[in-house]
Amino acid sequence: MLLCFTVSATSFAQGRRGLRINEVMVKNDSNYIDDYGLKHGWIELYNSTYNHMEISTVFLTNDSTNPTKYPVPRGDVNTDIPARQHVVFFADNEPNKGTFHISFSLTPGQDNWIGLYDTDGKTLLDCVLVPASLGDNQTYALKEDGVSSPDGKFDPKYWEVRDGSDEKYITPSSNNIIIDTNENIEKFRTHDSSGIVMTIVAMLIVFAALILLSLCFYLFGYLNSRAARRKKAIAHHGDDVDYEVTLKTRHDSGEEIAAIAMALYEHIKTHDIEETILTINKVKRTYSPWSSKIYTLRETPQRR
Amino acid sequence: MELDLAQFLTSNFQQFWEFTGFHNVTYEHLIMICVGLFFMYLAIKRDFEPMLLVPIGFGILVGNIPFQMGNEIGIYEEGSVLNILYSGVRAGWYPPLIFLGIGAMTDFSSLLANPKLMLVGAAAQFGIFGAYMVALWLGFMPDQAAAIAIIGGADGPTAIFLSSKLAPNLMGAIAVSAYSYMALVPVIQPPIMRLFTTKKERLIRMKPARAVSQNEKILFPIFGLLLTCFFVPSGLPLLGMLFFGNLLRESGVTTRLAKTASNALTDIVTMLLGLTVGASTQASEFLTKETILIFALGFMAFVIASASGVLFVKFFNLFLGKDKKINPLIGNAGVSAVPMSARISNNMGLKYDPSNYLLMHAMGPNVAGVIGSAVAAGVLLGFLG
Repeated sequence: MLLCFTVSATSFAQGRRGLRINEVMVKNDSNYIDDYGLKHGWIELYNSTYNHMEISTVFLTNDSTNPTKYPVPRGDVNTDIPARQHVVFFADNEPNKGTFHISFSLTPGQDNWIGLYDTDGKTLLDCVLVPASLGDNQTYALKEDGVSSPDGKFDPKYWEVRDGSDEKYITPSSNNIIIDTNENIEKFRTHDSSGIVMTIVAMLIVFAALILLSLCFYLFGYLNSRAARRKKAIAHHGDDVDYEVTLKTRHDSGEEIAAIAMALYEHIKTHDIEETILTINKVKRTYSPWSSKIYTLRETPQRR
Repeated sequence: MELDLAQFLTSNFQQFWEFTGFHNVTYEHLIMICVGLFFMYLAIKRDFEPMLLVPIGFGILVGNIPFQMGNEIGIYEEGSVLNILYSGVRAGWYPPLIFLGIGAMTDFSSLLANPKLMLVGAAAQFGIFGAYMVALWLGFMPDQAAAIAIIGGADGPTAIFLSSKLAPNLMGAIAVSAYSYMALVPVIQPPIMRLFTTKKERLIRMKPARAVSQNEKILFPIFGLLLTCFFVPSGLPLLGMLFFGNLLRESGVTTRLAKTASNALTDIVTMLLGLTVGASTQASEFLTKETILIFALGFMAFVIASASGVLFVKFFNLFLGKDKKINPLIGNAGVSAVPMSARISNNMGLKYDPSNYLLMHAMGPNVAGVIGSAVAAGVLLGFLG
């Protein structure tokens, strides 16, 4: 049962829930070019987990009644997406051109539903409804990489239209939000150049954690000694005693404890089992018949 | 024909000569080799943290043998044996393994017997943040300043862990600085302890610690993990392993695992960690102006941490009853550096009162310092990572 639980927990952890449709272009006249030098609509997938993800055998489709329309082929090393990275699929309806050319195309001027299904062909991992109003060379992209509806259902509030301007740049196979600085460091650099705020906050956290731990173990110590005293009181007077009263009235003196310890010692010492101490004393006598030369020498031959 | 052979031999010798260390040596290499030899001298002849300084010192020699790049020899060449061993430092998985061993060999009962001593371990972390402020003032970026300041935690694995995440380029200098000052704790701390305490305070006798039950010892790693890591999840790799190791020790049913963690595993990782940290101090990477500043800041962090531990105990005593006072000589032990700083507290105590044994009392703040520095590292990583 434990093994089943472990296996199921592991397989859940390794699922492809973190795979997201990140950006879609329907009509491409002057944008991303494929390996053949041609321009097509494209779909960008994003691994939003913090571990690499092998996506072969997941399905891409534009038809909810046919969820297994394009299976991502096995055996291509490029289908293993590193953590927080992307792959782009060209929607050119020419799957024979390679792994990243899918078996359907996107139609400009109408709504395009795109679904991403897990290897079972039933579990919807993510989907998007690209609006018909999306213009040429524009993309429909997640505002923040990989952040969309947690249940995989389409929710337009996470999406936006990008037209390639300086504010709304188009980023095939790259992050939708390009990070060129560490925001945390910049924040501290700007607002806490002396480090005083960090010092105060961090010391408060360190103190809070250790104070809490300290209080916790004061409590454990108190409860533990209380339980020990209770056991002791019950041992002296039985279950029906009011042990609180007993504790207040009765204390073993040091002399009593010493007397009990002495009695126990004497009792243990006077048992009738042999001490389990083996002492080997060296035999001082040097002679032994076993080592006598008399017995080891042959008899002296005699001439007759 | 003979001329060709001579030319061939000459060019071969020439090629071999260019390959040797004698041809490639620079004065920086020689300086670093001297530093490595000095570390080994301190460890072998002066007995300063030999378990750490022998591998580091020898590692410095290994890392500073001059050679031609491109033969997969050096620690910074991908695919070399040293590079593979160094991945434990670079990716930060040696320090948590060391923490597993520390947890498995540490008896927290002195801390559990007197939980208020945890606060001394917290106060000593001020050394980290004092150094952080000075490093910022000297012009370091916040992430670099944090990586340097963690030296004040006096905890080598924590320093390596944090610097590998925040400032990998400074990790060699930070690690060597942290371990050097840990080895020099017997030299650095006593003058500070004398400076901030009066003779009367040094004679304070503390009550013997109460006996701690097995249940408390078992609950400590469990609640310790939950409480500290809910506060600072970024400290999980270090704190998780520390408390896990301690649970192996205290549970009473995993003695074999605890033994392996505290002996064989710790020994193996310590060797690899020390050797590769030492080897990472290649002259070209190490002998820079930043390294000098890092050593200076590290020293300052140690001094502030030791002083703040002692001063906090004095402050704390203002609120304690006459028979519950704490001897401020155990304040220095809050800087971690287990168990060296606790031993110093004990030795100082015995110097002023030959029957005043402070070792067990000092072990409380000492192990609290380990937890405190890991929490502080988690806070810094959480804010700046």
